[in-house]
Amino acid sequence: MRIRALFSLSLALLSCGLVACGTSSQSSSSSSPASKTITLGVDLPLSGADSSVGDSTLNGVKLAVEQANKMGLPGGFTIVVNAIDDAVQGVHSPQQGASNMRTFVADPSVLAVIGPYNSNVAQAQIPISNAAPLLQIGPSVVSDGLTIGAAARALRRTNPDTISFFRVCTTDAHQGSAAARFAMKLGWKRAYVVDDNETYGLDLANVFDRDFSKSGGTILGHDHLAKSQQDFSALLTKIAATKPDVIFFGGVTSTGGGLMKQQMARAGLAKVPFLGGDGLPDIATAIGKAADGTYYTLAAPNVEKLASAKTFVKQYTARFHAPVGAYSANAYAATLVAIDAIKRALAANANALPTRASVIAQAAKTNALSTPIGRISFDANGDVKNPVVSLYEIKNGQATFLDQQFF
Amino acid sequence: MHEFGAQLANGLALGAIYALIALGYTMVYGIVELINFAHGDVYTFGSFITLVILTALGITGEAHGVLLVVAVVVALLGSALACGVLAILIERVAYRPLRNAPRLAPLITAIGVSFILENALQLWKGPAPITVPALIPNPRFLGGTFSLAQVSVIVLAVVTMFALQFLVHRTRLGMQMRAVAQDRDAAALVGIDANRTIALTFLIAGALAGIAGMASGVYYQSTWFLNGFGAGLKSFTAAVLGGIGNIAGAMLGGFCIGLLEAFTSATIGGQWANVAVFTVLIAVLVIRPNGLLGTNLPDKL
Repeated sequence: MRIRALFSLSLALLSCGLVACGTSSQSSSSSSPASKTITLGVDLPLSGADSSVGDSTLNGVKLAVEQANKMGLPGGFTIVVNAIDDAVQGVHSPQQGASNMRTFVADPSVLAVIGPYNSNVAQAQIPISNAAPLLQIGPSVVSDGLTIGAAARALRRTNPDTISFFRVCTTDAHQGSAAARFAMKLGWKRAYVVDDNETYGLDLANVFDRDFSKSGGTILGHDHLAKSQQDFSALLTKIAATKPDVIFFGGVTSTGGGLMKQQMARAGLAKVPFLGGDGLPDIATAIGKAADGTYYTLAAPNVEKLASAKTFVKQYTARFHAPVGAYSANAYAATLVAIDAIKRALAANANALPTRASVIAQAAKTNALSTPIGRISFDANGDVKNPVVSLYEIKNGQATFLDQQFF
Repeated sequence: MHEFGAQLANGLALGAIYALIALGYTMVYGIVELINFAHGDVYTFGSFITLVILTALGITGEAHGVLLVVAVVVALLGSALACGVLAILIERVAYRPLRNAPRLAPLITAIGVSFILENALQLWKGPAPITVPALIPNPRFLGGTFSLAQVSVIVLAVVTMFALQFLVHRTRLGMQMRAVAQDRDAAALVGIDANRTIALTFLIAGALAGIAGMASGVYYQSTWFLNGFGAGLKSFTAAVLGGIGNIAGAMLGGFCIGLLEAFTSATIGGQWANVAVFTVLIAVLVIRPNGLLGTNLPDKL
């Protein structure tokens, strides 16, 4: 009896741990009736292990909104940002993301949502934003199934033919293939693949796995991590015994990427490159010098190489006194797309508050909109045309641009 | 064979950390029959204190010679002391006023204290994982299978367990603890200060969490404010697996879980580690409801 009580208690504790601590960092002013405000919802992980990348992504949104308000919108509208955290107990949570999306849908002043950062959160949100329907633009979510094929159609179950979810980054398929090609180019022939068993990480690792062996590489093994795993010694000992040229990690810093890389040195894997996708750019913030030897791809062009990005970088650093985050420019571009769509919808509605449907229709018509990450147009799935993947290496705790590929 | 040895080392080191935390759960449960859910967070506090001490000593990486010995001793004693004091405070504020309340009440305050500590730790060091200096150099023993850090953690846990056994069964304080555990009122009648004895038990349990926090911080070179949530749950499981209230049981349970996790990760895959641990737990409890070595609780009349 006692033991049983202990069990239900530990269960109770677990579920307590899952109780949300989603906090609203800025509240919208939807209460005033004839208000001239339009709310832009933002859903990102703003606390916990993803917070450094979440904050810099949110800054991208803020900058775009501040600039748009300064220039003025048709009809005298102003845009306010309502950013809600989707992290619970320090980790991004699909349930919290879904609940945040319901908050946005319930607020009539919300005409578009930017976010989330993580693909599994997007999976939980898209059915809700699609049912509304409410324009949602992902700055960084790269899982293929969010926009492509039957999986995406299943997410759009309420309005399967309405594309209300767009993204300004490329997809896992491109990123995984690019990583496989980069690896071959760098002369790495034997790879050990590890993923975090989440939507994003698993997709990415599977694409890498497939493309790397297709182009002649050897996959020595493919393992999945447990949620909140802290001890990687057993896995790393096993990997070290296979003597890989490279370890590919499908996942983000907070789901094991950081801890795993940190523990590699002690497992005799100090010199083995640690390659991953766009979940790893914040790894140096998390583990400092131990991040050296990490290579990661970004589903975006190298911002500093683009002329259109130079102004953005200057404005961003002047406004936030911080370096541009990995997805700040993407968030800025996603916000530009949303604002551009809202402006055109306002114009089409005699400068009165437009319907959500008309904002979605305008977003789909986005035509070569100039942004710091290039000119944006969308294909029939809501993905950007002409995606770019770039590769970075971390040296002395700093990201260095290596290479980029166009698809 | 080399890989098997290395995995054995990984499992024992992980198990040693679980065991150190489990000892604290078991001590407290033995005397007041309270599952101290805040215990895991006291363990996190220990790793934070270790980081503070190492930073104060100016250590940023591996240390050698006299500095290494000084750093290990100061960090161990410092975090044990800080965690012991924290545990006493928690007991005084959140558990003692509820000593005669229904048993659910202190359990809920325990969960409350756990959340308060987690949030306080987050305010202190931020929400992201923090790097702890490696401290222990990395020579390897026994054909390269065991690292110095692993051997230290395992030896530390075993020595601590024997010291605790000695304390509980061979000293005056231990006798008082057992008396209070058996019958608090009768113990008071024969002149034992029950509150003082319980407070000292919390001090010891907290100190054990501090030692575990120091060991894990240095061994994994990282910690964060939620470190104790998962580790605490696993260690509590270890205490139940071994037989709650039983000091040797906590140690055995800890090592069993550590080894199971390591070998599951090495063979089937890491995502099955928790499944394996809890499957074995269920199987053991079905056959031996009191855990591997049996619970060691006083009979209440």
